[in-house]
Amino acid sequence: MSAPLRERDALRRAAHEHAPARRSRRGPLLAVGIGIAVVLLLLRLASPALGPQLLPDTLQDFVTLTISVIVESVPFVLLGIVLSIIVQVWLPQAFFTSWLPRQPLLRRAVISFLGMFLPVCECGNVPLARGLVLKGFTVSESMTFLLAAPILNPITIITTHQAFGWSDGILVARLAGGFLIANLIGWLYSRHPDPESLLTRSFAAECALPQEHGHSGASKLRESVELFRREMSTMMPALFIGAAVAGGIQTAVPRSVLVTLGSNPVWSVLAMMVLAFVISLCSNVDAFFVLPFASTFMPGGIAAFLVFGPIIDVKMLALLRTTYRPRTLAQLTLVVALTSAAIGLVVNYFA
Amino acid sequence: MPDSSSRAPGASRAPLRLDAVSRLADRWQGVLLTLVVGISTLWLSATGQLVLYIHPRYVVFTVIMIAIGMVLSLGVLVLAPSSRDAGAEDDGHGHDGHDGHALDGHGHEHEHEHEHAAELRAPAERPRRRRRGRAAARTAAVAAGTLVTTAVAVSLVVLPPATLTSATAGQRDVNSSTASLAGTSVEDAASADADAYAAFSVLDWAGLLRQTSDLSFFEGKTADVVGFVVPAGDDPDVFYVSRFVVTCCAVDAQPVGVPVHLVDWRSQVSADEWLDVSGGFQTNPSRTSSDPIALVPDELEKVGQPSDPYLY
Repeated sequence: MSAPLRERDALRRAAHEHAPARRSRRGPLLAVGIGIAVVLLLLRLASPALGPQLLPDTLQDFVTLTISVIVESVPFVLLGIVLSIIVQVWLPQAFFTSWLPRQPLLRRAVISFLGMFLPVCECGNVPLARGLVLKGFTVSESMTFLLAAPILNPITIITTHQAFGWSDGILVARLAGGFLIANLIGWLYSRHPDPESLLTRSFAAECALPQEHGHSGASKLRESVELFRREMSTMMPALFIGAAVAGGIQTAVPRSVLVTLGSNPVWSVLAMMVLAFVISLCSNVDAFFVLPFASTFMPGGIAAFLVFGPIIDVKMLALLRTTYRPRTLAQLTLVVALTSAAIGLVVNYFA
Repeated sequence: MPDSSSRAPGASRAPLRLDAVSRLADRWQGVLLTLVVGISTLWLSATGQLVLYIHPRYVVFTVIMIAIGMVLSLGVLVLAPSSRDAGAEDDGHGHDGHDGHALDGHGHEHEHEHEHAAELRAPAERPRRRRRGRAAARTAAVAAGTLVTTAVAVSLVVLPPATLTSATAGQRDVNSSTASLAGTSVEDAASADADAYAAFSVLDWAGLLRQTSDLSFFEGKTADVVGFVVPAGDDPDVFYVSRFVVTCCAVDAQPVGVPVHLVDWRSQVSADEWLDVSGGFQTNPSRTSSDPIALVPDELEKVGQPSDPYLY
């Protein structure tokens, strides 16, 4: 989606043609916003009058699951955007780049652990990775960060340890697997001849712009809210669509189909990866979700779920689509899926 | 954009107005959707219904982050540059408009290089048609996305909040997730007294039934549980009095339930109804049911949905 480009184009035209008319709109913006908020609140307050059992069961559950994905994810998206604003606007230009090693392999290895300081799950990670690219990361480095940070971060490690302890090598497989995949992907894409072509046009255009610094406090504040507006405009529709697709699939596909496959060393891995893809949970909480499956599924399936899920799922693809082109995402999905499956099989057969 | 330059002169009026709408939407959809999610979430938490969607331990974090989002949204409205400044602002984070022009030219070139190189070199009929086809596909995708986003936003604001229903319970198979049933062990339960049994939930009993099919363990013990009705697939005289167990949010809800044997239960209760059932356990009289032991109700009372419908 080339929203910012189109917007800029149109705005420039508008600035030439209707400058006086547009200017006058500025004052009542806040009033309009508060007006809309009040209308939304009144609608929300009036809605219980519609009564229960408005929709047939299946449709109702589709709505409930979709809203559940949104309510679960929005706080993390907001957290990611707030961190991204801090990184882009309030931290010095070279804060994350100056002390990193120059040797590419080593550099990406260190970047894999940035999540230790920026503990966001994968949905908050997308805006943060966008911010880091704008801050001078290469595309391949952004991918390494994007894939590693949701797994190699303190919250995920603690929750996974709470859920599984050290049993069956699940925690070790998750951490090692996440590190391995992130660096593998980073290495593969660092060899790409034209990394900019991996990005969507609108985001590549945003990256091509020079960044200005040394603003005063007031204009930094303005820059922050402007960044918030832009990131929310990109992320929220993607999240809504991703949540609806995830909710739809879960309503349509019986889960028992997956659960019956649990005791086969190969099928347990594939079934858990499909489940991770569909369920679209955040990495901070997915260990608790998968814990009940530990008795039905082989440990390799659980490990594959915990490695694959934070990187690729329905909701995540919708969010990634804001930044990377479809072809890039297809390659990414393929490589990550094959590697996760390999990790799961290794755990099942050798651990 | 290449499309606007190649557009026929006569057709420029109406699309321009559409452009204006989509421009406005592109600019403000983030703030608008934040308000939609924010208002709904704060209302849900104020009325204690946020737990219908997420585990209670995330409520505080969610409310704090939503509040920050609302403040930032209002900040956008207070501090956002006027639309006129915004043209330049979007280009260069505060550069003047002239700079924006030059940069925009760059964006244009980039686009041509990557996506339309073939068309530029050979402006024949076929590529043009292909481009039109691609543009139509893109328009359709954008329209579908807009439709879905709008529908979800409307349901967030308008539809009454609800728990998951028996449709999902059936689809996810009651008691299929065994580990959530391991909470209460048979050894612990054997030493419990009658008061403790009275407090046992659907989850406790379902766990015990999973762990042992020894009827002597259940003899003399009376269950008193609240849950909603999920029909059993394998016998018309059996239903499950069920609850969802939630670890993170409604997305991961796993149904657990105690099988109840009641001949012709459909004449008394219907699926999704909330019941308070009490009675003892017996060998399941059903021949087709997969559950060896079932609750045979002494008393069965219809109750309203509890304010905390999920178990954790």
